[in-house]
Amino acid sequence: MTIAAGGRITAEGAAAAPETAIAIREVSKAFPGGTVALDRVSLDIRANEFFTLLGPSGCGKTTLLRLIGGFEEASGGRIELHGQPIEGLPPHRRPVNTVFQSYALFPHLSVADNIGFALEMQGVARAERERRIADMLALVRLTGMEGRRPNQLSGGQQQRVALARALAAGPKVLLLDEPLSALDLKLRKEMQIELKRLQRETGITFVFVTHDQEEALTMSDRIAVMESGKVLQVGTPHEIYERPARRFVAGFIGETNLLTATGTGGRTLRLGGGEVAVEATVPAGTSVTIASRPERLRLAPPGEGLAGLVEDVVYFGTDTNYHVALEGGGRVAVRVQNRGQAAGRPLAGSRVGVVAEPGAWQVLLD
Amino acid sequence: MSRLRRFPGTAAMAWAFFAYLYLPIVVLVVLAFNANSSATIWTGFTTDWFGRVANNPDIVRAAKNSLLVSTVATIVATAVATLAALGMARRRFRGEGAVSALISLPLVVPEVVTAVASLLFFVLLRIDLGLLTVAIAHTVFCIPFAYLPIRARLDGLDRSLLEAAGDLYADPWRTFWRITLPLLAPGILSGAMLAFIVSLDDFVITYFVAGAGGTTLPIYIYGMIRIGVSPEVNAVSAIMLVVSIAFVSLSYLVGRRG
Amino acid sequence: MRSAARTRLAQALQLAPAILVLGLFMLGPLLLMGYVSFLEKGSYGGVKWGVHSVEAYVKFLFERDFDDSLILNPDYLRIFARSFGLAVATTVLALLIGFPVALYMAMQPERRRNLLVFLVTIPFWTNLLVRNYAWILLLRNGGLVDGVLQGAGVTEQPLGILYTNTAVAIGLVYSFLPFMVLPIYTSLEKLDFRLVEAAYDLGAGKALALRRVVIPLAKPGIAAGCILVFIPCLGAYVTPELLGGGKALLIGNLIQSQFGVARNWPFGAALAFFLLSVVLLAMTVYALRFKQRPEHGA
Repeated sequence: MTIAAGGRITAEGAAAAPETAIAIREVSKAFPGGTVALDRVSLDIRANEFFTLLGPSGCGKTTLLRLIGGFEEASGGRIELHGQPIEGLPPHRRPVNTVFQSYALFPHLSVADNIGFALEMQGVARAERERRIADMLALVRLTGMEGRRPNQLSGGQQQRVALARALAAGPKVLLLDEPLSALDLKLRKEMQIELKRLQRETGITFVFVTHDQEEALTMSDRIAVMESGKVLQVGTPHEIYERPARRFVAGFIGETNLLTATGTGGRTLRLGGGEVAVEATVPAGTSVTIASRPERLRLAPPGEGLAGLVEDVVYFGTDTNYHVALEGGGRVAVRVQNRGQAAGRPLAGSRVGVVAEPGAWQVLLD
Repeated sequence: MSRLRRFPGTAAMAWAFFAYLYLPIVVLVVLAFNANSSATIWTGFTTDWFGRVANNPDIVRAAKNSLLVSTVATIVATAVATLAALGMARRRFRGEGAVSALISLPLVVPEVVTAVASLLFFVLLRIDLGLLTVAIAHTVFCIPFAYLPIRARLDGLDRSLLEAAGDLYADPWRTFWRITLPLLAPGILSGAMLAFIVSLDDFVITYFVAGAGGTTLPIYIYGMIRIGVSPEVNAVSAIMLVVSIAFVSLSYLVGRRG
Repeated sequence: MRSAARTRLAQALQLAPAILVLGLFMLGPLLLMGYVSFLEKGSYGGVKWGVHSVEAYVKFLFERDFDDSLILNPDYLRIFARSFGLAVATTVLALLIGFPVALYMAMQPERRRNLLVFLVTIPFWTNLLVRNYAWILLLRNGGLVDGVLQGAGVTEQPLGILYTNTAVAIGLVYSFLPFMVLPIYTSLEKLDFRLVEAAYDLGAGKALALRRVVIPLAKPGIAAGCILVFIPCLGAYVTPELLGGGKALLIGNLIQSQFGVARNWPFGAALAFFLLSVVLLAMTVYALRFKQRPEHGA
């Protein structure tokens, strides 16, 4: 066993470069009636990773998942699974399994028969089947529930059965369609940890769909942010959060400050009487939108950084948000962690300067 | 019940209505046990009339014909209706409305009209009137009665269950046998029972296309009623009532299960 | 795509049996019947195939004198009128009785409601002959109704209801009341009772709330009920036959006699075709008028 970059344990002799589990090339999907659900989407999902499709309702994430699963046919483009093209193949011929949002447990079969269904379809002998069912039940910690019917289980239990059922046949890829959305908060947090653990243990490629950005950030190895049928940005949670490339991505995840600034030909931008430093080079005179996270900004005595007036102070317990109106126009939120010093904090109405940590301001593409 | 929801007079009307609805049925069943052959005077409890009915070879033969025809018609109609329901629910298509109208045609067209049309049809094709023609005619009008509960059950079926089956390596054929059919079963059973009753009870259409050899129980009863009131008619009628009610109740219960 | 074409084929195969059976044994015969109505009557009953005439339709209104001229014949018109009148009367009666009953049912708590619906439905599934026979027992001279009334001293002579229009009306209302009650009940059940409460709140009494809120919202159910009673009433055969004494009271009986005693098949076919047309017309009017717009509010 060697430990490759990123802390991932790989088998002896395996290449360090990640293998592509699912290659999505220029995939489009239009529904009769004219709705375009996906517009030439291209993505690479690596083997053994926890990959999340994140976006608001209607962005196409579920449609893309269903295309991978085989429940819909693409209107254009190619999808390859470990190098093999799979368009045209019906679901029962794809080595991919799905956890449905509504769980879709067979109501007339017992928990054991539900879990063993795929094995039954593949002709696995009864003894072996029962062994695997027992293994799966242990994996999701539902041992003892073999004989129950789905309608006798709680929501959380049903969810785990759905998971066990999808894992039983040992697929290479597991598709999860907002599987946690029906659970209450506490259960959801528990299941998030469970799922993450499962993925690490089994090494199966997880493709996870959600609209909950916090969920995406905590669970994923990589995230694809989608909107209106297009993929806006793909990256690790850190990249997506700290370096959003698009206005939508910046706004969808967490709180963001957005300002308009003018380029000077170098890495500095001019902005309402002050200046900010960015990592990209912007031609002189070009107007761009910049974004930063509230926690990457700092309050300073007036005269440093951008000048502004504190309009509002909102106390959060762990942090305090200061809403500052900048002199040159625009407003920013500055998030300061509460470290216990009540004195010395600016009050509403006081003049302050807003200073950014290095790399805090990102230039957005749109 | 909340005072607000009470409208004066409706309760009385409702009770009168249910009395009106069930009075003839109750009277008939009671009189079937009347020892007196006159229908209005009660002289004692007896099951003699039922015995007479059971020993009457004509009635027994008519009953056997009825059962035979209804069983055949039910099986064929239910099979056809199941396929039709599966086909209609699968996906929308042009001409959907026309097929739907065709299936409900027997429900819309007055029985006399259907009867006349069927008679003319069989005569034109020189098909002898008898149990065969009755069975054919019954199959036709049983289809919509079987169709409705099956379609309702199918519509209530969660599509994602079928997708899940495919996802778990079941090909369409196995999905049908392992998932769709078992879940559809209560609806199919319910539809079959309704079809059976409707067939068993039918008179008008049967009367036109039965000819000499196709006497079913309702036709025989009609003949008896034309002759006049008699205790045997009471007994046979009571039997038919009870059978119908039992079947409907069963169909209702089966349809609600699962 | 391969799988889409395969789905379409499967669908066609699944629909084929139903389409074949109904097309061949239902639609075909109806069209044949229409054709027969334009044929000439055979000498000993039956028809002369290939010999066309409109005599059957002429017969609706006229009869031929010895010199083949047309004399107006009101007999059949009377039968049409009686059928129509009886159907209207039955519908109105059914509405007057059925509406309060449906209202009562709709106002019950849920479990009782389902039970009541079930009880209303059961008689529908029993044999029509048997139900009408029961009425014969009740209504005939010396029958149960007479027995009770005479026993209570209300009347001395038999009422003689059987074999009259009244008996037929009683029988028809009896057969079709459930068809009126259930659609109205369905409409009323969906009623948002808070609308009625709002009316009370604004000072309306029960009668006014009924007239202004409940009934208008129940209109689709009332329309459906009326159609479901009126149409089958027009084509009724068994009830007028048994309770009307075997005289050709209504269209249904008239049609039947053409294939029995009277032996005029084209005329029978024409009458049946006429009845079918009226029914289809009534249904079209209903569909256009009442099913076009979705219900507002409740």
